[in-house]
Amino acid sequence: MSRSERHRLSSLHDVELASLAASGDRQAFGELVRRHGSAVRALLRRMGVDAAEADDLAQDAFIAAFESIADFRGEGAFGAWVKKIAARVCMRRAQKDKRLRGRLEANETPEAPAVVDPGRRMDLDEALRGLADAERLCVSLCYGAGLSHAEAAEALNLPLGTVKSHVKRGLDKLKARLAPEGEAMEGQRGNG
Amino acid sequence: MAEMEVERTIERLFARAPELGDADVFAERVQRRLDRGWAARRALIGVAGLVGGVIGASQLIMSNLFSRAEAASSESARVLTSGVRQLAPQAEWLLNGPAGIEAIWLAAGLAVVAMGLVLTRIIEEI
Repeated sequence: MSRSERHRLSSLHDVELASLAASGDRQAFGELVRRHGSAVRALLRRMGVDAAEADDLAQDAFIAAFESIADFRGEGAFGAWVKKIAARVCMRRAQKDKRLRGRLEANETPEAPAVVDPGRRMDLDEALRGLADAERLCVSLCYGAGLSHAEAAEALNLPLGTVKSHVKRGLDKLKARLAPEGEAMEGQRGNG
Repeated sequence: MAEMEVERTIERLFARAPELGDADVFAERVQRRLDRGWAARRALIGVAGLVGGVIGASQLIMSNLFSRAEAASSESARVLTSGVRQLAPQAEWLLNGPAGIEAIWLAAGLAVVAMGLVLTRIIEEI
């Protein structure tokens, strides 16, 4: 792709790029992948998938997104739309792949996290590591991929109540560990 | 933090995903897969068209259609010519002109080619 073409595509809005992609423009879709690839890969990693497999799943998700790009009407953000696709692609793969399913759905409490300085700001990835696998998966699906509890329950093939309780426990743990972060954010907002 | 505030904070943190260092490499990989899939699809359409054409041609040959079409065409050309002469004597210049009846067959042939192109386009769109 020429530099001017790249520049032209990079100046377009996601909805315009999606519209071009829907008419078969693969370069336009490539620009969307460039913009949202990291977020999708990060989401899959946060769900508990290892880095290499997360990249593989993210590729599958973008291919699936291209195949159904005509369904994207621009009502929501493209990033949110493709994250939902990625989450569903991951769950479908987990249904076929026992190894992946075992990793995602193990309901084990992780080893007690190292003692953290109460004043130190903890990032989300670090905080997620303190959650049980099922809690991390449910929280990531609902708050990272934007699935409703019911959609997450369907994707995971779990009862709705189980998903809700995983989310609740996960949120409580994150709340405890991210409290300094949350306060800092509120402080920034107050100052800004 | 209130429950709603916790949820909003978590959503914001999820949305702030770090830009990975190999984002361009990843995008190129996806692009290559798309290109491969596209090339495979085009090849599949081409092969399907070729197979269809071979089957169609063999059916035409086996059904002895050409000799029947030849007989029918001379008969229908005669009928058509007389019909056209009766209905539109002013078009006589066309039939008797340098192109004559060949012009009609040429137009029909072009129409068939145009239909073929439209069909190919529709298949590609699908």
